[in-house]
Amino acid sequence: MRIGRRRVVVGALIALMLVLPLAVKSAFALDILIRILLFAFIGTAWNLLGGYAKQFSLGHSAFFGLGAYTSTLMQIDLGISPWIGMLAGGVAAMLASLPIGWLCFRLRGPYFTIATIAAAQVLMLIFLKLRDFAWGAEGTTIPNLGDAPLMMQFDGKLPYYYVVLLLLLVALAITAWIARSRLGFYLVALGEDQDAAEAVGIDVPRVKRDIYMLSAFLTAMAGTFYVQYIYFIDPQTAFNFSISIEAALVSIVGGVGTLLGPLIGTLLLETTSALLQSWLGNQAGVQVTVYSVILMAVILWRPTGIMGYLAEVRERRRLRQGIA
Amino acid sequence: MLEIVAQAVINGLLIGGIYALVSIGVTLIFGVVKIVNFAQGEFVMIGMYITFFLATQFGMDPLLSLLVSMPVLFVIGVLVQHFLIRRVLGLNDLPQIFLTFALSLLILNIALMLFSANYRTVHTAYSDEAFHFGGLYVPVAKLIAFGVAMLLSALLWAFLRATDLGKAMRAASQNRDVAQLMGINPNRVFAVALGIALALAGAAGSLLMPFYPAYPMVGQVFVLMAFVAVVLGTLGNVVGALVASLLMGIAESLGIQFIGADSGLIVVFLLLLATLALRPSGLAGGHTR
Repeated sequence: MRIGRRRVVVGALIALMLVLPLAVKSAFALDILIRILLFAFIGTAWNLLGGYAKQFSLGHSAFFGLGAYTSTLMQIDLGISPWIGMLAGGVAAMLASLPIGWLCFRLRGPYFTIATIAAAQVLMLIFLKLRDFAWGAEGTTIPNLGDAPLMMQFDGKLPYYYVVLLLLLVALAITAWIARSRLGFYLVALGEDQDAAEAVGIDVPRVKRDIYMLSAFLTAMAGTFYVQYIYFIDPQTAFNFSISIEAALVSIVGGVGTLLGPLIGTLLLETTSALLQSWLGNQAGVQVTVYSVILMAVILWRPTGIMGYLAEVRERRRLRQGIA
Repeated sequence: MLEIVAQAVINGLLIGGIYALVSIGVTLIFGVVKIVNFAQGEFVMIGMYITFFLATQFGMDPLLSLLVSMPVLFVIGVLVQHFLIRRVLGLNDLPQIFLTFALSLLILNIALMLFSANYRTVHTAYSDEAFHFGGLYVPVAKLIAFGVAMLLSALLWAFLRATDLGKAMRAASQNRDVAQLMGINPNRVFAVALGIALALAGAAGSLLMPFYPAYPMVGQVFVLMAFVAVVLGTLGNVVGALVASLLMGIAESLGIQFIGADSGLIVVFLLLLATLALRPSGLAGGHTR
């Protein structure tokens, strides 16, 4: 019966997300919705590694950028559709995650985080140098083919909304499945205590490698989508540090290691950001200042994020009912 | 050719002195408090803006402003320890990593709002002076910065060796629980460690000002350098961080000379990644998997 109710809620939420953009008339609002879904998707990908396995990467822009560059290079140089490029980008990111992970997982805790930052920076600096192969620092615009669904280009923003919604739903489904699988329990165990996980026979390096690969694959797909959406690519856009930051931020604010945490966190942060922008215009620094205050408040008072808080409230209510 | 190499080594060594001030601060905090301070670069930036405003408003020489920037940053360090870091000690990785990371974002973006992204420079009488030795030249401002940085490092070293508080600090970094049993008050030790580390960052800011522009993002370069130096020099080891910083300054400078103007960071990061690949256990002392 409980499962039945849960299915109804999930179905209703998906239905709401399907019809929501039809009610939205302005392109600005639709753009915000697309941003929310995109960052919820990236956050969900980050959450697999950072939330469940507690390996806090701040280098996910590496995979976002690889995905973006792979599909764009394939499209412009070879005329291959970004739909295929998106998968190829995922594979490229997955392969890149092997050496990066091999190096970075040698460190624990904060030094793992720092090593991932360094790895992502190296990739950006390399793409800044690749003038002949990938347009160097100037970047390039992606040719606008008009309404070409087979090349992931559409008239108007609505189809982009459905593409990124599909990506998010797939990522959530994968997360839900992993959370209940053996791998999910391994992840939680190593996130709690790596040495103990190893002691009970979990192949920690392998589990970390696998989840890093999956997380990288999904993040790369977001990269392809994003550059197709804005029709432009350069190293500063594709490997921007703020992508790594926001991926971690939305997950932490929403609640790490929970299915819906990244989505909830993105809803809060992106809505705040959109409101700030409409009040104050594009004043430099305001948005991230507010983000960092929210992050700090969450860390100091609610380290389990919004989802953790909700779970607490529910638990308290249940206890009260139990007593009554 | 030899002369070009020698000049690059000199340039690298001089800027490496500044990196050393920043990395010694990071490694001191990590050694004593067991926290990685992601905001260390932003405190360098605060030191630079303090120096900039003292120079433009009151005509104070950047070297003299050390006497302001260091105490101010010391106090900020004690406050950061007391109101922020103290509250996440003993918790898991997430709050410990992201608290100072959030602090770094906060300071950087407040600076962006207050001062805009423009470069601010201070010109001193010695900004353009240089000593010449044959074909080599040594800029005076950088030489002074290097000298003061080494002096401050030596003072810190002596402080850690010779004073009770310094010894307490080393004891706390070796084994916090035992140190506490021996009657060392960890809160006081931690606050002083933060204060000293931030004062060093402030000093780095003041020393940079005669030859380096201040802008809100300036700290990021220095903090990344410091992180690499701290890993290379074994976490928590002050002398290791110092030596690694000087070497990295040289590596960066050679990278700029022989690969290209924007390649310094690549060389340093590759150095980090190569070290991780080749001898991880020796470097990260107890923190490798």
